[in-house]
Amino acid sequence: MSGLSPLKSALDSKGKQAAALVVFVGMACLLAAPYAPWLVAWPSVLTVPMSDWISQGLGAFFEAIKPAMRWVSWVLGFGMAAANWLLVSTPWVVVVGVTTAIGWYLGGWTMASLGFFGLMFVLASGYWVESMNTLALVFVSVPLALLLGTGIGILAYEIRRVKKIVEAVLDLMQTIPTFAYLTPLLLLFGFGPVVGLIASAIYAAPPMARNVLLGLERVESDIKEAAVMSGGTRAQQLFLVELPSAMTQIMVGVNQSLMAALSMVIIAAVIGGFNDIGWEVLLTMRKAQFGQSFLAGLVIVVFAIVIDRMSGALAKERRRHNTRVVWWIIVASLVAAVVLDDLLPAADTLGYFGAVADSVDRSVGDFTRTYGSGLDALKNSAMFYVLLPLRIGLDDAVLPFTWGFQWTAAMSAWVYATGVILAAVLAWQGRLTLGLCLLVLIGVIETGVTQLPWIFVLVGVGALGWVSSGWRLSVLCVGLLGLIMVSGLWDRALLSLYLSGAAVFTCAVLGGALGLWAAVSTTAWAVIRPVCDMLQTIPLFVFLIPMLMFFQIGEFSAFLAIIAYAIVPMIRYTRHGLVTTPDDMIEAAVSSGATNWQIMREVRAPYAAPTILLGLNQTILYAFAMLVIAALIGTTGLGQSIYIALGRADVGLGITAGAAMAILALVADRLVQGFAEERRNALGL
Amino acid sequence: MARTDGPDAPAIAVDGLWQVFGDGARPALSGLLKPGAATTDGVARRLKEQGLIPAVQDASFTVKEGELFVIMGLSGSGKSTLIRCMSRLVEPTSGSVLMAGEDILAASKRRMIELRREKLGMVFQHFGLFPHMSVIDNVAFPIKMKGVALKERRARAMEVIELVGLGGREDAYPRELSGGQRQRVGIARSLAVNPDVWFLDEPFSALDPLIRRQLQDEFLNIQATLRKSIVFITHDIGEALKLADRIAIMRDGVIVQIGTPSEIVLNPVDDYVREFSRDIPKGRHMTLEALMEPVNGAPHSGGPELRTAMTLDDALSACALTFEPMAVRDGEGKVVGLLRPEALARAVGEAQST
Repeated sequence: MSGLSPLKSALDSKGKQAAALVVFVGMACLLAAPYAPWLVAWPSVLTVPMSDWISQGLGAFFEAIKPAMRWVSWVLGFGMAAANWLLVSTPWVVVVGVTTAIGWYLGGWTMASLGFFGLMFVLASGYWVESMNTLALVFVSVPLALLLGTGIGILAYEIRRVKKIVEAVLDLMQTIPTFAYLTPLLLLFGFGPVVGLIASAIYAAPPMARNVLLGLERVESDIKEAAVMSGGTRAQQLFLVELPSAMTQIMVGVNQSLMAALSMVIIAAVIGGFNDIGWEVLLTMRKAQFGQSFLAGLVIVVFAIVIDRMSGALAKERRRHNTRVVWWIIVASLVAAVVLDDLLPAADTLGYFGAVADSVDRSVGDFTRTYGSGLDALKNSAMFYVLLPLRIGLDDAVLPFTWGFQWTAAMSAWVYATGVILAAVLAWQGRLTLGLCLLVLIGVIETGVTQLPWIFVLVGVGALGWVSSGWRLSVLCVGLLGLIMVSGLWDRALLSLYLSGAAVFTCAVLGGALGLWAAVSTTAWAVIRPVCDMLQTIPLFVFLIPMLMFFQIGEFSAFLAIIAYAIVPMIRYTRHGLVTTPDDMIEAAVSSGATNWQIMREVRAPYAAPTILLGLNQTILYAFAMLVIAALIGTTGLGQSIYIALGRADVGLGITAGAAMAILALVADRLVQGFAEERRNALGL
Repeated sequence: MARTDGPDAPAIAVDGLWQVFGDGARPALSGLLKPGAATTDGVARRLKEQGLIPAVQDASFTVKEGELFVIMGLSGSGKSTLIRCMSRLVEPTSGSVLMAGEDILAASKRRMIELRREKLGMVFQHFGLFPHMSVIDNVAFPIKMKGVALKERRARAMEVIELVGLGGREDAYPRELSGGQRQRVGIARSLAVNPDVWFLDEPFSALDPLIRRQLQDEFLNIQATLRKSIVFITHDIGEALKLADRIAIMRDGVIVQIGTPSEIVLNPVDDYVREFSRDIPKGRHMTLEALMEPVNGAPHSGGPELRTAMTLDDALSACALTFEPMAVRDGEGKVVGLLRPEALARAVGEAQST
């Protein structure tokens, strides 16, 4: 064993050992690949028809409960029809009046005018009826979600043992892509808006449950004990003291639940069969009427903003506004509806923006014609020089057609040689881990993410898990990924991994830089902040419209849409981490004579590291969520499988692909959380 | 259970109370507490070896009717756990707590709710006010739990609100009140059902020193009229000495000494207790009773009149009256003023007490 001792002393940390192992396995795979192709591609003998099994198993189960579900569907359909009738047949003056009145009650002048102008815009857009249809879905699904969420939250709070299970399920539900909910529901409830309704009720319940649980747990122990000592029964304690005391947090849940429901209702339009605003977007998008689809998207955004800001006001400390004004506004709108009945135009005859939409269409057309070559050049260079090499590796991506020359084996050798030299230099400087990671990175780019040997991926992820939090996580990650391989979806999973990986990487670099900028300049933050707020309010679906307008269907549009959506948490968390460094640490650094940049590098950045990692974690989850939606505009990978499954009502494929997606998200989530935790512990936070 | 009536019957009798945290605490403790087994220290050591945390170890004491009993200890000494055992906010692992002869640790859930509605009141360190209720609704909450009608409970709540000097603020919300006012609400709420036993868990620790002193004085006034049986928790020896009829001092889960303020100051049982009373101005807390000698023959009858309840400071300045005023000179030896010894005694006493 004495021969190993210098090796042992060189690899004196977990990180170095893990990196060395990965490099070693990578080299072994590289050398052995020509002789053992089963090292690279998962041997098909080892896959099992998991999706067929699930289809059959669930099919029987669904058949059994279908009558009951159809009945539920009938009841819900009834409720929805009622809500729909109420919203559509009520004169628009009254709907606008009531919204304005609610706005006044929640936040005075600002909210009242937001409600008023928001709805007036919707009216003028000509999408009034479609919007009310969407709203009716939200109005029926949200109470269901709130009830469900509150029930689950209370249950988890009351019964310790249930809490762990509930938290695990909520975690899982957050990672399961939205589309994946739809396929089983489609089988159970048949085509139609009820599927969207139920999907959004299920999708919107977890945020409510989480916030109810969090709110109840955060009630001060003195308050809880005071309720006990007042002689309250458990029910009295809960309903008279603890829930009301947690109301602020619960209202955050209501806000998130509303937004989730709206988002899901709009996504559910892909099922079709209902004349709502999401369907309108989809339809116009398919017909390439980008002006119309942009307008419909704008209506969704306006809706989202009105609902978000109004329900967000519930969760804030607020001034009480005069309720008499509320009643006056409502009465006035009722009177107006009766008196002006003949004078006011019907909602469905309006549509002032048709011309605008057309001109948007025309100018986008002109723009793409004029600058088409520029846009294409941008798209192509991003594809050829970044995305494609990452996907299939330099050795396949570099062709005379793309780069102007043919990649040769000699070039590969040169790249590897340079990598080894760089790594050696880094190792000599004492940064062996960094050097080894560089080697791994070069290997990945040279090979391409989708052509990585499966053994290498398993070893790499296992090593990451081991470094980030120990062998348990390592085993969990390897096991879960192994499950994807066995299911036969590994190729598609790698495709998804490559696209989301590229997007997350871009988000991390770009978002980190923007976050840094926002942290040092208040002016920058004043500009970036409303943009972030806006991006977080917009339902996922809408992100696709502008990308389609300029870059057509394809991977690049999807890539951009993912970045636009997933960059926000990275910006926010980076800034937050950097600006919340405690004052006394900054003062200590200043009095030690540090310059601003020295403070940033030496004090703020290390302190912010755990927060930034959490931001990265969120960015990853957002990217996966968007990846599935982006399947609508042409991505390959798991998202596409889920979408195909939806079209074919193939429950097995939908569930396995959804689960594979959830596994990827879960693994990434746990790895990053592990690193964040490790950093936090290192800082003693 | 037989009720032992009589003027000296204890309002609360705590006997052999243990609170051990950790999984499997109950069997572990009952195994160790077999008759003739190890000492308290021995049992505690064995529990710790098993990874359990004995937060309260074999606490036994009584609180007399109308007595103000203070439990004093540093943070982590188990005093808050002890009061939570007595009010059954946590379930004690072993022992008994008798209140008016009834073992409340054996009481059913239902009986416990009843007791809290009728007989127990509690004040919390961080007030524990319900943020969504106005002052009067907070105070009326325990009465509401009893099912008393709105009008009647508001009338009763107003009475206690007046008692704590918050009349006129009854419609305010907790967030609109200062810390001192909030704790007044806490005190009013705990008194709303007119309890027999009054628990106060560090009620004044979260307040500014000036407000704290003011509330301590008002608390003593309230107690002078209501004469509740009180268990009062504090980490401040000054507060304990000022308020208590008797004090129990806790360390690491064990009650190390129980005694009147004078006894604690004069006869500390060990260095831990001595350390506490070291910085205490003894002149202000000790009375002559603890210092006087038995009468032996006819004592000198002249001079100032001294009483057993007088503090040493008061006695000293009274004694100083018997001396003549003396001249005070400047640096060159010229007489510039006159000093009365009693003024000196009083000034020194005040200086010590601030």
